[in-house]
Amino acid sequence: MKLLRTFTKGLWEELPPFRLVLGLCPVLAVTKSAETGLGMGLAVIFVLTCSNVLVSCLRNVIPRKVRIASYIVIIASFVVMVELASQAFFYKIYESLGIFIPLIVVNCIILGRAEAFASRNGIIPSALDGLGIGLGFTMSLTVLGAIREILGAGTLFGTQVMWSSFRPFTFMVEAPGAFISLGVLLALMNAFSKTQQS
Amino acid sequence: MKALDLTVSPAPHCHCGARITRVSYNILLALIPAMAMGFYYYGFDALRVVAASMGSAMLAEAAIQSILRKPITIADGSAAVSGLLLALILPASVPLYLVVVANFVGIVVGKQCFGGLGANPLNPALVGWAVIRITRAWAGYLDFDLALVNYETGFILQYPLAVLKAQGSAGVAHFSLMDLFLGKQVGGIGSSAIIWLLLGGLYLVVRGVIRWEIPLSFLIGVAVIAGIFWLGDRTSYGSPIFNILAGNVMIGAFFLSTDNASSPVNQWGMLVFGFCCGAMTVVLRSWSIYPDGVVFACLLMNLFVPLLDKIKKKQPLPPALSPVTPPVMSKSAEERSAS
Repeated sequence: MKLLRTFTKGLWEELPPFRLVLGLCPVLAVTKSAETGLGMGLAVIFVLTCSNVLVSCLRNVIPRKVRIASYIVIIASFVVMVELASQAFFYKIYESLGIFIPLIVVNCIILGRAEAFASRNGIIPSALDGLGIGLGFTMSLTVLGAIREILGAGTLFGTQVMWSSFRPFTFMVEAPGAFISLGVLLALMNAFSKTQQS
Repeated sequence: MKALDLTVSPAPHCHCGARITRVSYNILLALIPAMAMGFYYYGFDALRVVAASMGSAMLAEAAIQSILRKPITIADGSAAVSGLLLALILPASVPLYLVVVANFVGIVVGKQCFGGLGANPLNPALVGWAVIRITRAWAGYLDFDLALVNYETGFILQYPLAVLKAQGSAGVAHFSLMDLFLGKQVGGIGSSAIIWLLLGGLYLVVRGVIRWEIPLSFLIGVAVIAGIFWLGDRTSYGSPIFNILAGNVMIGAFFLSTDNASSPVNQWGMLVFGFCCGAMTVVLRSWSIYPDGVVFACLLMNLFVPLLDKIKKKQPLPPALSPVTPPVMSKSAEERSAS
C-alpha cells in the first residue's frame, strides 16, 4: 500500500510542473507539440528512474560532502545514453528537442528526487518514485503540448484535428503562449483541488 | 464634561463625487468623434468591429467575474473603454473572431488575473492587440494595406508608415501633412482621425480625467527622437511632424498610455513615462519589423511603471532612528562558515 502511494503521488499530489512547480524550463520550451512533449517526458522517465535506482544503491557509499557532484555524474551518464539512443533511433524527435536533451542533466526534478527521495530510501521505493514522478511529468508535458498544438497549429500528433479553414492561433506555440497556457492550467488545477478540499 | 461627538477617520475626509463611471464615460464621450469618423469612412464594417469589441470585452469581464464569484462590475464602463480602444486601433475589415480572442485574452489574462480594475500592470486593450498581432497566421488581417484595399474612402489607400518603411521619406512625399492631420489616412477605425483624437484628448485634459504630463511628453518624445533620426538620415526616416501625424501616436498619447492603473502617479514619473513611450515608438518604427510601434512602446513602458513610481519628492527624514546594530551571527551559522 505504501509502495503504491510512492508511485501514485507523482500523478497528482506531487505532479512535477503543476504541484512542485519544478523543471519549468523544459516544460515551457519543448511543449510546442504533443509529440515533443511526449518524447521529452519519456526521456525524463528513463533518466529519472535509472538515476533514482543507482543513487539509491550507492546512497551509503557516496560521501555526504560530494553528493551533489556524484548525483550529477550519475544523471549525466544516463542522459548521454538517452541522447545517443534518440540520435540513433528517433532522429526527428532528437532534432526538435535539440539542446533540451543534454539539459535534462540540470533538470531540477531529477536532482531533486535524487536528493529528497532516492538518497534516503531503498531501491524499490526509489524506482517507483522515479516512475511515478516521471509519468506525471510526461502526462503534464503531453497535455500542455496537445493544448498548444491544437490551438496553435490545428493538429494533434501531426494529424489535422481542426476544420480545414481553421487559421491557427500561432500565438500559442510562441514563448508567451507557453507562459499563458501554463499559468491558466495551473490556475485551473488549483481551483479544482480547492473545490475537492471543501 | 460631556464628550464631543466627533468622528475620527483617516484621509480623505470629503469625497468630490468622482467615480470610475465618470472617468470611463468621459473617455467614451471623448472617443465618439474619432469613432464616428471611422463609421463615415468604413461604414457598417467599422460599426460591426466596434460593437463586437465592446460587447466581447464586457462579456469577458462579466464571465470571468461570475466564474470567480466576484461582484460583476461591467456597469462601471472600464471594460467598454478597453473594448472601444482596441476596436479603434484595428482595421475595419478584421474578422470578428480576432476581436473576440483579443478581448478575452486582454480582459481575462491582462486584467482580471492581476486582480481587476486598478491592479492591472498592463493596459488590457494593448495586451489583446499584442496577442493577435504577434500571431503570425493572422498577420494579413492586421496589415492595413492588405486589409483596407477594398474600400472607397477618397484618399490615398496606403498606410503611410508602411510606405515610409518600404520606400523611405521620398515615398511619403505625396502625403500632405494637412490630410494626415484631418484624418484622411489609412489606419485603424479611429486611430487615424488625428484631429478628433486631439480634440477628445484635450477635452479629457480640461475635464481632469487625464493629466497633461503624459500626452505632452509623449508627443515631445516622438518629436525629439524622430528629429534625431531625421537629421541623421533624411532619406530613410520621416520628419518629426510626419511621425506625430501618422499611425497611432495621437491615440497612444492621449488614450492608450494614460490608462490610470498602468501609468505612473507622480509628476516626474509621468513625464519620464510619456517621453520614453514616445522615444520607444520612434525606435520601434525605425528598427522593428512592424510599421508602427506605439502599442509595443506603451506595453514596454507599462512594465517600468513600478520603477517610475519611485521617482518622487524626498520626504523629510523621520526623527533620528536608533543606531543600527550589526546582526548577531547565530552559532550554527558561524559553524557553517567555519567549515
